[in-house]
Amino acid sequence: MRTYFYELYQSLDAILKGMLLTAKVAFLKKATIQYPFVKRALPPRTRGQLFCNINDCIGCKLCAIACPVDCIYITANKKGPTEEVNFTSETSGKKPRRFHLPQFDIDFTLCCWCGLCTDVCPTSCLYMTPNYEFSVQNRQALIWQFGESQKPGPKEDFNRPQDQLKLYVA
Amino acid sequence: MEPSELKTQELHINMGPQHPSTHGVLRVELVTDGEIVKRAIPHIGYLHRCFEKHAENIDYMGVMPFVDRMDYVASMNNDQTYAITVEKLLGIEVPKRAEYIRVIMAELNRISSHLLAVGTYGLDIGTFTPFFWCFRDRELILDIFEMASGARLLYNYLWIGGVWMDLTPGIEEKISEFCTYFEPKIAELDTLLSYNPIFIQRTANVGVIPLETALSYGLTGPNLRGSGKKWDLRRDEPYSVYPELDFDVQVGRGEQGTVGDCWDRYIVRVREMRESLKIVRQSLKQIPPGPHRATLRRVQPRAGEAYAKTENPRGELGFYIVSDGSLTPYRIKGKSPCFTSISALDEICRDAMIADVVAIIGSLDIVLGEVDR
Repeated sequence: MRTYFYELYQSLDAILKGMLLTAKVAFLKKATIQYPFVKRALPPRTRGQLFCNINDCIGCKLCAIACPVDCIYITANKKGPTEEVNFTSETSGKKPRRFHLPQFDIDFTLCCWCGLCTDVCPTSCLYMTPNYEFSVQNRQALIWQFGESQKPGPKEDFNRPQDQLKLYVA
Repeated sequence: MEPSELKTQELHINMGPQHPSTHGVLRVELVTDGEIVKRAIPHIGYLHRCFEKHAENIDYMGVMPFVDRMDYVASMNNDQTYAITVEKLLGIEVPKRAEYIRVIMAELNRISSHLLAVGTYGLDIGTFTPFFWCFRDRELILDIFEMASGARLLYNYLWIGGVWMDLTPGIEEKISEFCTYFEPKIAELDTLLSYNPIFIQRTANVGVIPLETALSYGLTGPNLRGSGKKWDLRRDEPYSVYPELDFDVQVGRGEQGTVGDCWDRYIVRVREMRESLKIVRQSLKQIPPGPHRATLRRVQPRAGEAYAKTENPRGELGFYIVSDGSLTPYRIKGKSPCFTSISALDEICRDAMIADVVAIIGSLDIVLGEVDR
């Protein structure tokens, strides 16, 4: 009988202590944010969606080799001897661009956001933006095109004859 | 029918795969006699992702994101283990600064992993508030990781030969700020959960693992230390810069019940968070300037093999890598601490109540991503 009441007292005591602690927290600043209306400030290193500035790309394909899930598709055609070799921008080290790049596709359904491709890029033209809100209605819209004379965005024309690497489109 | 003709029968109950207390997708087949569990057979493999086979087809650096996904609540520790193994294979020296950054990140990840273990353990037992508080504090660690690596869960930050990028300016202040913020929060957690009589009643003397059983099953980490064995790879087989750091190894002493019960395993985790804070504080003081990554032309080790193990939040994680001199590993085998923990489940659960099985699984702190790989 005595232990019964003692245990009852102990439990009530524990609940009261816990409730007091919890009550204190009620007056603290809220830890949560209302996501779609309030957004967190992201640090500059945030690894979000990939972006390729194709005007600085030299077509070395190091990113496609480094990618562990093979989600980067590049077609690089060597420029002819008569064609002009332009250079990448000042910030990328003024490297010669010896290839035509009609295709530079990234399949974001496969991408695992590991960032290995951005580290190996010699001109830093492939980098990760802080954008994380790019959900779409159909899977094909997650394959993005960054090729020359293409508007960066969801791929418009799949498996054109000049693309050497064919994408799987269900 | 005469009562003497009535037969009793053992009842098979499936717990899982979608059971909330299994921390992932685990199915436990319980053979019960009334409310007493006679056998508990864990069925694993629901989260199998062919890590070892994948690793044979990618270069050494590309394995890193897959290593992250093994124990997804302690990615930094996994990365450290894998990096140490490959460095052993390559025979390269890692800069001192990189080692210190690795230790800081690994210890912070240990805190965040223990916070998750402790919080969800409270949730299993039936208290809700500690879970929210633990996740609130864990969020601050994730913010630090996001600042350093850019990701919040799968960091891929500790690379072969060092770390990916140097510490972000201002992150050291943020880490020490967190240390001062977090110390009183552990005391709060003690009041709310650890020394709560209801919690003690629920966990003390439940799921006792005697030391001989723990040793025979090869349990490691907090599960072994909860049984009273003072064994910590950071102290006993030191790697990285741990010999230069001062910390204690916490063991279960059976304060509330028997040595090796659920409460002991729980309290070892809570006390280890304090030790990790100690390590982080010391490392922040001692961190030298210098390069953050060794210069590597390419990761292509000579033919050979290497095994390295480190102390993960869940125990001893080891990688065994065989190289045939090519760019991809010939074979990678991961030795996971959770797998050994779960193999002891049958022995621990024998003659326990069904309601205690939840408490036992929670106290073992398994992550199914690492059990199945």
